[in-house]
Amino acid sequence: MIESIISLGQGFLTAVTPINLLMAVLGAFIGTFVGVLPGLGPTSAIAMLLPVTSVLEPSQAIIMLAGIYYGSMYGGSTTAILLNIPGEASSVPTCLDGYQLARQGRGGPALGIAAIGSFIAGMVGLVGLVFFAPFLAEQAIKFGPPERFAVMVLALTVTSGLSGGSLVKAAIMGLFGFMLSLAGLGTFSGLFRFQFGIDALSGGFEMVSIVIGLFAITEVLKNIGERQTAISPDQIGNVYPSRSDLKQSAGAIAAGSVIGFVMGLLPGCSAAVTSFLSYDIVKKFSKRRSLFGKGAIEGVAAPEAANNATSSAGFIPLLSLGIPASPPLAVLLAGLMIYGVQPGPLLFSQQGGFVWTVIASMIIGNVALLLLNLPLIGLWARLTRVPFGVMGPVILMLSVIGAYSVRNSLFDVLVAVLFGFVGYFLYKFNWPVMPLILCFILGPMLEQSFIQSMSMSAGSFGIFFTRPLALAFLVVAALMIVISGLLVRRTKQRLQQEGSGQISPLS
Amino acid sequence: MKKIIFQQRKKLAVVASALVAVFMLTACGVDSKQSAPGKNTDSSPQAAANYPAKGIEYVVPYAAGGGVDLVARAVADAVGKKWGQPISVVNRTGGGGAVGAQYALAQPADGYTVLANVVSNTSMMAASYKNPAIKLEDQQLVARIVKDAPAFTVKSDAQWNDFNSFSEWVKQNPEKLSWTTSGVAGYSTYVAAEWLHQLGVDVGKTRMIVTNGTADSLPLIAGGNALLAVHPVSEVATMVNSGHLKILAVSSTDRSPFFPNVPTTAEQGFKDLSAFWWTGLSMPKGTPEAIVKKWSDTLAELAQDPEFQAKLKTMKMEPSYLNTADFNQFVTQEAAYYGNLATQLGIVK
Repeated sequence: MIESIISLGQGFLTAVTPINLLMAVLGAFIGTFVGVLPGLGPTSAIAMLLPVTSVLEPSQAIIMLAGIYYGSMYGGSTTAILLNIPGEASSVPTCLDGYQLARQGRGGPALGIAAIGSFIAGMVGLVGLVFFAPFLAEQAIKFGPPERFAVMVLALTVTSGLSGGSLVKAAIMGLFGFMLSLAGLGTFSGLFRFQFGIDALSGGFEMVSIVIGLFAITEVLKNIGERQTAISPDQIGNVYPSRSDLKQSAGAIAAGSVIGFVMGLLPGCSAAVTSFLSYDIVKKFSKRRSLFGKGAIEGVAAPEAANNATSSAGFIPLLSLGIPASPPLAVLLAGLMIYGVQPGPLLFSQQGGFVWTVIASMIIGNVALLLLNLPLIGLWARLTRVPFGVMGPVILMLSVIGAYSVRNSLFDVLVAVLFGFVGYFLYKFNWPVMPLILCFILGPMLEQSFIQSMSMSAGSFGIFFTRPLALAFLVVAALMIVISGLLVRRTKQRLQQEGSGQISPLS
Repeated sequence: MKKIIFQQRKKLAVVASALVAVFMLTACGVDSKQSAPGKNTDSSPQAAANYPAKGIEYVVPYAAGGGVDLVARAVADAVGKKWGQPISVVNRTGGGGAVGAQYALAQPADGYTVLANVVSNTSMMAASYKNPAIKLEDQQLVARIVKDAPAFTVKSDAQWNDFNSFSEWVKQNPEKLSWTTSGVAGYSTYVAAEWLHQLGVDVGKTRMIVTNGTADSLPLIAGGNALLAVHPVSEVATMVNSGHLKILAVSSTDRSPFFPNVPTTAEQGFKDLSAFWWTGLSMPKGTPEAIVKKWSDTLAELAQDPEFQAKLKTMKMEPSYLNTADFNQFVTQEAAYYGNLATQLGIVK
């Protein structure tokens, strides 16, 4: 461990050369800028800028790419909070309270908490990377398909609380989301299914276009339909989070960091999964539960911390085993390979100098991100003064560009527009959209880990009950269902006692 | 009241016109690309002589970071520098490689859109499906660039130390063999099926585990959740060098230069295993011959270029160039061979 600290110190010495510092800051800035554009997340940001960085030295290029990765993860939260456009699935939970806060004129503090939460979580992740990388990577490998399946089931039950109102409605929306995820190439059969003769559907529905439709476009329609003033122009309020905001968020940031980091080590657990999970866990244990969805600052802190912790944790299997846990890391892996860097356990012993320089630069990049973004919050928050007549078309335009740019496909734009209308009607008739998104994200992973488990056991369900870890997750999941069932009933009774017989749906 | 309604209408109009404008913009973008053949497809010798007069789109139908992508990026970089025009690699993923290939082959046949092909979306696809998503006849095969031998890989502390004793064990316990593949018609399936077929083992008795590819499959082996993975040497090298996995045999005529101590399948008595991984280049059918030749010749030069060879070496790959005529003949034979195998095994869909 002391060895790690010494190596890290040497890494810092290399990282603080002016050119390397410049690359870290530049990467963080470009990343934030691209991340602010909806639809353009870390994956497309890195893929787009990979050729540009090829003029640099390997370590400079990787430093810059890591900066872009962090920056774009952070940038996504800006549009989620101010415009209700989640740039990617992992910012969806951020919208829930962030946008409400912005409408109450507290967009500044929400952005500030997002920046601070991301920074702390990013640092927690990096500390984990420095000290535990080889050990943790070994543990994650033992996690097989049955365990992954059990974790997905747990995630679904925990987050079913997000539906707020009727469990039946939530289940129906969840099934709808799952069915949407089935379109495209069958995981096991290798045959196309639910394609309906549309070529563009052979790749399935693109998550980003559905998310953009359900959130951004639906939001514009709501505004037209109800003439809500997007955000009251006179009140931006304080730009920085107050002391009480920080106090309220501290626990959520800690929880988000830990959940995001631990879950992020598991292959297949994307930032979207961890940010949903931490939002819901923080909500479940909060004393101000009723405020969630109406502008609770912890509701911004938890998912933002979680998705940054997950992105940092992803570097552990990437650098020490060469296994990318998420699409943006796969692109980053391509970057490493192009520069002749072969990730794996040997990376630390063979190219230690390089690795430690990169890790040191990531720490610098995180600091740069915070210093860069706190002063800019005022500027971002001022965006909310723009009247809807101008903002609406801009949101629509950005949405169309975002939906198009992921796969360069016009079909995805049509899907986004369609889901904009679907989202509007769901909203009008009080159907929750969260279970839909969640099942759409988890569906393919759930299906694949289930089929893989069944292939392993030659068709016996026993595999889920004979492996201790898988069984433990399933037992916890069952407990969650019972407990949340009881809680819902109790809440209903209490609400009736207090004279308002309705539970308002969250979304 | 009237004013409010008016304002509302005005807002609606603004939003609607923005939507229309954006659609027209995107539509134009698509149109200008598709109307290009009418104006620009000039198969005259001058057009080919001036080629390339602008940037080229190099479509990779798989995610960034995989073998096909890495080779494509190395080629795009080297050829782009040579010709003084930017060649941009575009990853169009989905549908097991079908989405990107369908897109690329539907572009104008003017040499400005090229497609990275690979054994699994050419010969193996033609062999596996009665009605494949991408047909061999729909594309102009240009050249093969790289090949890579399959490695039979198990966990490093597995009980077997040579391929023969492993094969013998599989023969006795076919139902205990679990192996990973990236799809029913994937590359690993053909290599494993060829071997099992030769052993006289019924593939249906073994446990096939379908994964998302190497990044998904290798942890299953290293974590003890499956026994055998068959991937190209370049893709297993990292985890073999790190001591998580070991290679029992490399399936090729010569030993891999990256693992000279690992015997080949042929050395261990399996003479007829011939499946291997390769990647190359395709273009839309009807691309002018001069442009096809220019690419093929440039790729031939590239295969001899020390800088390019060094780059492949860091990826644990080697150049294996075939010119247009040889490549076409090779793919035709290979597709027929796999077709035969697939029919015998009953995996044709």
